[in-house]
Amino acid sequence: MTLFVLFICTCFIQGGCAEELSHLRKPYEDGVLRINLGTEPPGLDWHTSTDSTSFDVVSNLMVGLTQYTNELEAKPACAASWEVLDGGKRYLFHLRRDVFWTDGKPVTAYDFEFAWRRLLAPETAAQYAFFLYDIVGARAFNTGASKDVNTVGLKALDPYTFEVKLAKPAAYFIYLTAFCPSFPQRKDIVERYKDRWTEPENLVTNGPFKLSYWQHEYKIELTANEKFFEGAPKLKRIKMFMVPEASTAFALYENNELDFVDNRSFSTPDVERFRHSPQYKNFPLLRAYYLAFNVSKKPFDNADVRRAFALSIDRKVFPKILRRGERPTSSWIPPALGGGGSDSGLGFNPEEGRRLLARAGYPDGKGFPETKLLYPNREDVRLVVEATQDEIKRNLGVKVELVNQEWKVYLATTRKDPPQMFRDSWGADFPDPETFMNLFTSYNGNNHTRWHSAEYDRLIEAAEGEQDKNKRAELYRRADVMLCREAVPIVPAYLATQNIMVKPWVKGIAINPLDFQFFKTVTVGDTAAGEVSKSP
Amino acid sequence: MIFPILKRLFMAVPVLLIVASLTFLLVRIVPGGPFDSEKSLPPEIVANLNAKYHLDKPVHEQYVLYIGRLCRGDLGVSYKYVNRTVNDILFDAFPVSCQLGFVALVLAVAFGVPLGAIAALGRGGRQDFLAMFVSTLGVSVPGFVIGAGLIYIFAIQLKLLPVGLWESPWHVILPAVTLAFSPGAYLARLTRASVLEIVEKDWVRTARSKGLSYQATVLRHILRNSLIPVVTVLGPLTAIVITGSFVVEYIYAIPGMGRFFITAVMNRDYDLILGTTLVFALLLVIANTFVDVAYQLLDPRMRMNAED
Repeated sequence: MTLFVLFICTCFIQGGCAEELSHLRKPYEDGVLRINLGTEPPGLDWHTSTDSTSFDVVSNLMVGLTQYTNELEAKPACAASWEVLDGGKRYLFHLRRDVFWTDGKPVTAYDFEFAWRRLLAPETAAQYAFFLYDIVGARAFNTGASKDVNTVGLKALDPYTFEVKLAKPAAYFIYLTAFCPSFPQRKDIVERYKDRWTEPENLVTNGPFKLSYWQHEYKIELTANEKFFEGAPKLKRIKMFMVPEASTAFALYENNELDFVDNRSFSTPDVERFRHSPQYKNFPLLRAYYLAFNVSKKPFDNADVRRAFALSIDRKVFPKILRRGERPTSSWIPPALGGGGSDSGLGFNPEEGRRLLARAGYPDGKGFPETKLLYPNREDVRLVVEATQDEIKRNLGVKVELVNQEWKVYLATTRKDPPQMFRDSWGADFPDPETFMNLFTSYNGNNHTRWHSAEYDRLIEAAEGEQDKNKRAELYRRADVMLCREAVPIVPAYLATQNIMVKPWVKGIAINPLDFQFFKTVTVGDTAAGEVSKSP
Repeated sequence: MIFPILKRLFMAVPVLLIVASLTFLLVRIVPGGPFDSEKSLPPEIVANLNAKYHLDKPVHEQYVLYIGRLCRGDLGVSYKYVNRTVNDILFDAFPVSCQLGFVALVLAVAFGVPLGAIAALGRGGRQDFLAMFVSTLGVSVPGFVIGAGLIYIFAIQLKLLPVGLWESPWHVILPAVTLAFSPGAYLARLTRASVLEIVEKDWVRTARSKGLSYQATVLRHILRNSLIPVVTVLGPLTAIVITGSFVVEYIYAIPGMGRFFITAVMNRDYDLILGTTLVFALLLVIANTFVDVAYQLLDPRMRMNAED
C-alpha cells in the first residue's frame, strides 16, 4: 500500500496534474492542431512505407518534384518546370534553387537521383518500387537482373536538372512525382543514421513542417518549418495522436481534446448524430468497392450469369445501410477522373437480369449451383455482402452463401483460389483512370478474377501511351464498357467517402479525393465558424 | 533460499525454448504472410522483401537463425513497423503496461481481498450479498463495457477525468480501474471461498476459545492462512496484468504492450508475435517463482528445499 501511495505521489509530481486539468478546460491552443492518426505509422521512410497513416505524416513533412492541386493536377513544387521530350519518353525537370532541407542545405537533383535509385535497390525492399518500373532499366535493376545502377534511366545532369527516361510513354507519369515514394532523400543522412534516420533527432525534410517528437504508438508532433519555400505554415505545431478506438477518439473530439477527426475516429452512429451539424462534412474519395467473380469457376464462366448478377443488385442500397454518404456506382472509373461514364456499367434492371439468367439455363434461379461469396471479417463489409445476398435472392432467386475470413487469410484466399464471388476494393495511388483500369489487365497481380482479355490489355496499353487527353479518355471509356457492361468480371458497387468533423476554431482543412491531408494552410485560433475548403 | 530461486529461473530456459519453438511453428502455419495487403505486390518486390527478412530460406534455417539471434538477446525485427526492432518496440511499450498494470494490481488486491473477506465473515448477510453482487459484475461484464461506461460517466458527463491518452497521472485512473475490475472481482470471490473454508477449521475455534479477540483471530489466523490460494493466482495474474490488456489500451489509447498480442498476429508480424509471447512466458515464470517465495513467508510448512 505504501508503495502504491508513493507511486501515485511521484506520478502527480512528475505529471503536473494541475496544469493538465487546466488544459482540459481550455478548448484549444492557438496555432496548435490536434488530430487523430488512428494508429502508429508503420514507418516514416517514404520508400518503405505503403500505408495512408505514414503518408499523412510524410506529406506534411515533404514535397516532391510536383504536388497535387485541388483539381488533382500535379503542380510544380521542387521542380519549377519540366519538359516532356521524345514523344513522352523523356522528362527533364528543372529544380527551384530556393528549396532547402531543414538543416539548411539546398534540395538538389542529386537528392532525387539518390532517392529514386534507393527506391529501386533490391536491398531497400521497397514495396512501391514498382512505381518506377516505367523508367528504362528500373525493373531489371529492382529484380536484380541488372546490378549496374547506371543502366536505370535517371540522372542528375547538374544540381538543378534531373533527367528521367521512360521505356514507353506513360501519360500518368507526372502524377507519380507528387506521391510520397518519389520524394527526395539525403544520401548523407540515410547512410549515417541507417535504420534510425527517420527518428526526430536525425530526420531532415523539405516540406512545410518538421518532425519534432515521436513517441511510438502514441503521438507525433510536427512543428512549422520556417524555411519552407512557400513560406512558413500558419500552424505552430500539429499534435498527431494515435487513438485506435473510434469512439474514444470521437469522445476526445467532443471534449475538445481533438480539433479535427475523420473516418478513423467516426463510428456510424456518430455520423448519424452529427450529420446536420455545421462541423460535419462529407467528401467522395477515389476508393471503390466492388463485387468480383472468379470467372474460371462455373457457372460464372458464362458472361450472361455475371451480367445477370450485375443487373440484379440495386447499388442504392449501400449508402442506406452504410450511412456515410457513399456514392453508388456502376462504372469502374470514378466520375472525378474522366473517361468513365454513368452509362458504361450495367445499372439495376432485375427483369433483364432474370432474362439473362434464364438464357444461361437457370430460369428463376432454378438449378443454380451452390455459390459462395467470400468477404473479410469486418462489420461494414458484412452489411454490404448481406445486402448483396438479399438483392440477388430477391431479384434472381439465387441463394448465395456468405463466407467470412480473417483479413490476412482472406487476402491469401483471394490470391490463391477465390470462390465464385468475393468482395474487394481499390484505392487510387494517383489521380488517373490508369490506377483503376490497369487493375484488370491480365498481367496485374491484383486481378484475382482470372478474367484475361487481350483486347482489354491492348486498350489499356494504348491509353497509357496516348498523349492526347481526349483520345486517352475515349480508350479508357471503351475499356470501362468492356469491364462493366460486356465481360463483367466485376460489379462496381460504390465509392467511399471521407467524413470529417472540424471544430469552429479550425480553418482551412483540406480534403483531397486521394485522402491525403495537407495542413500547411490550416489555422487554429480564429473563433469564426468552421470552414472546410476543398483545396490543399 | 537463493539457490532454489536461481534453479527455478534456470529452468525457465528450456521452457522459453519450447515456447519459442512452438510459437515459431504455429505462426508460420497460419495462412497469410506479413506482406499480404489489399494491393498485391509484384512477385519481384515480394522476393526482395522475403530476402531482406530471410523469409526466402527454408523454415528450419529460419528457425536456426531465429534461435541464434534469441540467444544473443535479439528478438528480431518488426515486418510491420519498418526499421524498428522487436526489442525497441517492447522496450518502449512494456514500461507503460507495467506502470498501468502495477496500479491496477494494487487496486485489485486492495479492494478485492478485503471485499472477499468482508463477504465471508458476514456470510449470508447483506454485506455478503452486496460484495458478491459487485464481484459477479466485475467477473462477468467485459472490460470494454466497463471502460466505455467509466468514460461516459466520469469523462463525458461529469468531466472529472480525461477520456483517454497517456499524458498525466489523471490519465492513469480510469484505465487502471477498468483493468483492476476483473482481477479484483476474481480475487474477492477467491478470498471469500478461502476464508469460508478457514473459518471452519478447528484451530480457529481453538484460538477463539483460548481467549484471542475476534479481530486478532481474523487478522493473524484466518486472513493469513486464507491468502495462500490468493497468492497462488497472484503469480499468473501479475504476469497477465503487467503485460497489458488489449482492450484497455485500445479504448484509452495507451501506448502499452497489450495491443501487440492481437495486432502482431493480425499483421503476421512473426518476430513481434514471438517477442510478446516470450516476454509473457518469462514474466509468468518469474511471477511463479515469487509466488513460491511468498508461500514460505505465509506458511513455514511450505519449505522450498534445494531438492525440489
